[in-house]
Amino acid sequence: MEPFNLENHPKIKSGFTTPEGYFEQFSEKLLFAIPKEEKPVISIFTRKKKWFMAVAAILILGIMIPFLSKNSSESQSLDSASLENYLAYQTTISPEELVSLLDEKDIEAIETDLNLDDATVESALSGNNYLENYITE
Amino acid sequence: MLDEQAFIQELLDPKTQNKAFQVLLSSYQKPIYNHIRNIVLNHDDADDVLQNTFIKVFQHLKNFKGESKLFSWLYRIATNEAITFLNAKAKRNGKTSEDFQQKQIENLTADSYFEGDEIQLKLQKAIALLPEKQQLVFKMRYFEEIKYEDLSEILGTSVGALKASYHHAVKKIEEYMTKN
Repeated sequence: MEPFNLENHPKIKSGFTTPEGYFEQFSEKLLFAIPKEEKPVISIFTRKKKWFMAVAAILILGIMIPFLSKNSSESQSLDSASLENYLAYQTTISPEELVSLLDEKDIEAIETDLNLDDATVESALSGNNYLENYITE
Repeated sequence: MLDEQAFIQELLDPKTQNKAFQVLLSSYQKPIYNHIRNIVLNHDDADDVLQNTFIKVFQHLKNFKGESKLFSWLYRIATNEAITFLNAKAKRNGKTSEDFQQKQIENLTADSYFEGDEIQLKLQKAIALLPEKQQLVFKMRYFEEIKYEDLSEILGTSVGALKASYHHAVKKIEEYMTKN
């Protein structure tokens, strides 16, 4: 038998056929099968992003309130000098009222703290224009 | 198609989409059908795979970067779809891909959409005995007459390797045709 040679042999076709009008019908069938417009899928988070962020900010602030108020109360601790100044200049508490609140020990402590000598007392009294009034009273 | 990128833009734009898709179909549906049919052999199966192929093309068009030709990209999708379909169908029938293909060849004589004579049927039988890659290369080169350069882009194989594959396929086919 003579060996078969594909190149020398007339072209062999596949032999496959299609139903009549198949390609025309296929185009129509396919256009129905494909969605006209594929809308991009957007997640609810992306769409309502601004609202999510606003709510998150409010929640964070709400959680932070106890910490903020605690910090502010700490920073307001008073030193004795400020308190003294306030009582002396900013309130209606008279020196007499303050004195009435002091007991013997407090007065002694003040005298010890001041540790006044006679010369200082004399110079203070000599500079006071109302000294005569005080003596008369 | 002179400007593929412009054509792809027309396919993606909802205003021009329908018309552009019609052009795509009229240009490619016949060669892509023939390519699929050569792999799956049966018309009904080829019809299913062709539809899946164009739906996939439409869905992935926005991801097409234009790195290869539209033609190569279409053939690549069609090839993958056809082979996946064939393997899945063989598995459903509890057969290996090779056994399933032999059965498909036997069924060709009763297929109303196969008008092959004795030698055409013999050629199909000879092809079915080849390894999958050689079958693909032979069918695409011999029946579809696709150039080696395009084949290389579609199958991702060097031209040299494709020529070797085709040469081996021809030798085996000639041997089968001589003996039978």
